[in-house]
Amino acid sequence: MTAKNSLKRLTLLALPLAAVAASTAHADEWAPTRSIEYIAPANPGGGWDTLVRTTARVIQEEGLAERNFAAINVPGGGGAVAWAQIARDSGNPHKLFAASPPIILVPLAGTSRYDHSDFTPIARLITDYSIVLVSADSDYESLTDLVEAIRDNPGLSVGGGSAPGSMDHIAMAGMASAAGLNASDINYVPFSGGGEAMTNLMGGHVEAVITGAGEASGQLEEGSDIRAIGVSAPERMGGVLADVPTYQEQGIDYTFDIWRGVMGAPDMPAEAVAYYEDLFAQMLETDGWASARDQLGWIDAYQGSEEFGAFLDEQKEQFSEVLSELGLRGE
Amino acid sequence: MTRLNSNQILGLIIALLAVGYLAMAFQIPDFPLPRPIDSDLFPKVLGFTLFGLAVMLFLEKPKDRDIPDEIGPEERAKPLLLRPWSRVVITSLAIVAYALLLVPVGFVLTSLALSFGLAWYFGYRRHGVNLATSLGVVLLLYLAMTRGMDVYLPQGILPF
Amino acid sequence: MDAFNNLMYGFGIALEPTNIAYVFIGVFAGTIIGMLPGLGPISALALMIPVTFAMEPSSGLILMAGVYYGAIFGGSTSSILLNAPGVAGTVATAFDGYPMARKGLAGKALAIAAYASFIGGTISVVFLMLVAPVLGRVAVSFGPAEYFALMVLGLTAVVTLSDKSLVKGLIAAVVGVMISIMGIDLQTGTERYTFGTTHLLDGIDFLVVALGVFALAEVFYMLLRGGGGKEQPRNAIGSLRLSRSEIKEIAGPVGRSSVLGFFVGVLPGAGATVASFLGYSMEKRIAKDGDTFGKGNIKGLAAPETANNAACTGSFVPLLILGVPGSGTTAVLLGALLVMGVSPGPMMLEQRPDVFWGVIASMYIGNIMLLVLNLPLIPLIAKILDMPRPLLLSLILIFCMIGVYGTSFSVFDLLLLLGFGLLGLGMRLFGFPAAPLILALILGNIMEESMRRALQISGGDWSIFIDKPISLALLIIAVLSLCLPLVKKVILQARQTRG
Repeated sequence: MTAKNSLKRLTLLALPLAAVAASTAHADEWAPTRSIEYIAPANPGGGWDTLVRTTARVIQEEGLAERNFAAINVPGGGGAVAWAQIARDSGNPHKLFAASPPIILVPLAGTSRYDHSDFTPIARLITDYSIVLVSADSDYESLTDLVEAIRDNPGLSVGGGSAPGSMDHIAMAGMASAAGLNASDINYVPFSGGGEAMTNLMGGHVEAVITGAGEASGQLEEGSDIRAIGVSAPERMGGVLADVPTYQEQGIDYTFDIWRGVMGAPDMPAEAVAYYEDLFAQMLETDGWASARDQLGWIDAYQGSEEFGAFLDEQKEQFSEVLSELGLRGE
Repeated sequence: MTRLNSNQILGLIIALLAVGYLAMAFQIPDFPLPRPIDSDLFPKVLGFTLFGLAVMLFLEKPKDRDIPDEIGPEERAKPLLLRPWSRVVITSLAIVAYALLLVPVGFVLTSLALSFGLAWYFGYRRHGVNLATSLGVVLLLYLAMTRGMDVYLPQGILPF
Repeated sequence: MDAFNNLMYGFGIALEPTNIAYVFIGVFAGTIIGMLPGLGPISALALMIPVTFAMEPSSGLILMAGVYYGAIFGGSTSSILLNAPGVAGTVATAFDGYPMARKGLAGKALAIAAYASFIGGTISVVFLMLVAPVLGRVAVSFGPAEYFALMVLGLTAVVTLSDKSLVKGLIAAVVGVMISIMGIDLQTGTERYTFGTTHLLDGIDFLVVALGVFALAEVFYMLLRGGGGKEQPRNAIGSLRLSRSEIKEIAGPVGRSSVLGFFVGVLPGAGATVASFLGYSMEKRIAKDGDTFGKGNIKGLAAPETANNAACTGSFVPLLILGVPGSGTTAVLLGALLVMGVSPGPMMLEQRPDVFWGVIASMYIGNIMLLVLNLPLIPLIAKILDMPRPLLLSLILIFCMIGVYGTSFSVFDLLLLLGFGLLGLGMRLFGFPAAPLILALILGNIMEESMRRALQISGGDWSIFIDKPISLALLIIAVLSLCLPLVKKVILQARQTRG
């Protein structure tokens, strides 16, 4: 192990350990005593499932943990079924699950009683960004063009891959709001997935589409029917997306992360949190992870437990604001 | 007053269901953003259609029904638990018990008990063959899913 | 001769020994997965992604495609023998396949299913090879308005599927639509008919309903009729041979359903299930003996079996040519391809011809393998029906339970399965047909969603449905197909009263 690596790990460890009571600072040597239930709150094949299975595989292959990470699918209600189940298991140090913005958005929409604050943040691992697409022969050369067109004609249809008030809609509405439009001026047309939204864009059935950059990147090679005019990252992305300007470059001060991370059962003991935090930090350094990550087009975005928790609170505030502006804020 | 025929009884039941469905449809909240068709329109249309169809069913003359043949004397002579409707009820209860015990007791034991027990109850008397078949099928499926496809099934009280 | 050269190139890849092995493993695993209710191809493929990580992309896709069409091929077996559809695409296969098996023609039914699947699969591969590059445009030309019209056309089949009593058929269909729209409404995020439980937020899984009203209801029905141990033994398998006249009889349906199935499969979002229903109802409508459909008509078996396999091949068009998934299964395939470093799309034909043509060639080989693999197995598999009745009934129950639990991992769904089993029994006892319910369940939700999506785009302007030529044409066909049988009936009645 290189000095640089262990130093990095030390700082990663220091934060959460400092945060918990002094008594636990010494009880550092916690390790799982049985196999870990590692839950994907969705069916096999989706984003959460891929994260769970990939990380479990890398941890196992690299021999990072003595105990097995058993991938378990608990689909239903966009995660709500799994969250309700996990929330009942307070204090269990052997229960983890994959999380992403829906853990904030679904409760805000009122379809889950539990939100991120009911669970223990472990670590943020990766991120993706949203991307705005138009058809290749469209008149909109830049995001500004599109924003102006929407200003003139609020009926202009923008497709996305999820229900109103969920990820794609929030990402679009937040951008519109930052660009000086009224968030509710977006005529958001929900499709049952980014793929379906893009097909409809190719067929000319909608004017623009917002979806995940990772999902769209396969579509953006030479000869494609669609074109990207803006990405929600803080700086330019790599690969086929290198030519796509960020929102900020186009004068719209807005970024949107489609992050993915790991959370645990409510009130997980601090030493268990520290153990997993360290484990995932180690995992991100392995070659096995690097190759899987690159194949899947993920971008590392590690945050330890405390930082991740603060980030989640911040996200919730940001999302509630957009939802209020849309008039979609429940209760 | 004449007795209601089967279609009239069914018509009344379905009409009641339609009314209940409609009552719920009228409670679906409006969506704050303008939608040309909100979530409640389809349920309302469906509810009224079902009600209308129930009325038509009420007025339709029943054709020959697909009710099983009259229960023969030998069936009636059977003990209560083995009569046809008892079989349906007991099988249903067994399924409920299976669903409730699946997670705490585990997949292998509950499935084995259900398969073996029902075959016995349905009248299969070669218990050795029954046990072997049930055990074989259940274990094969369990191993195929947990080992072969890496799908998690409840272990329950067994160690694997 | 361009296609020919490309195909030869593809065969060069598909015939490499390792790839032949992958085709074999794929179709073999697929057949088994398809036969077991509940083990759908989606989960199987999702779980295979890690295995294909390190593989050559063409080999990986050859393997996974084999699992996919193998599962549709194998799914017919449990539909025919047990009335328990193995995968969603083979529900319609049970309509006439199961009655045939009950009549002691299980062997013939399985043989027809195998031939129909083979021919449907093969004809559609020819289409895929010849016209795929052009078809990308057709696939994207279907927007929300067009889907709405297609679903309306599909739903008109309710009339043909309800032969005993039209009112009862319509009631079943309305209930089917009601079930299909339960859960979170995608257009607004509003909950509908969830009764406050998170378990219903995603609505009710299609497989739970299908296994309930078909397989479980059938078990209950047999129990009611005194299906104890005393049922006389019968020659359950029967001959596998088709007579010349039978071949002639199914040639038409197989040919038509191959074409229909392929084009429905090309449309993203429609898929094998919709294709099989459309194939079935089309044949029922044009057949002279349409009233024997549902009672063991071989055309009613051949049509959906051909259509679902053809659609399965067709669904590779949007996947490979556009790079967008048309179904849950192809979405997983797309994910796997991306992981292997291939991005399907318009450029794929030029950049990765090995993957494209290799897979197409492998499909020819895979279909032949499936036929050769399945035909000799038929007598063996059909032996299931020779099992003592009590044991068979308890095993069907176990299969249903495992099938449901294995896809949803939900105890709640097991109780729902029981509920639908009892509903199916009640429907059977009182003469309500189950097919319209299932059809409406599949199409109802897509119809509502597409309609509202179309109106959202048009800003509430209904003319979007008639301004678009495809949508208009489909709606006109729908109206005609509704009117013609009625007109026929009126004319017949008029003649009778006159006579």
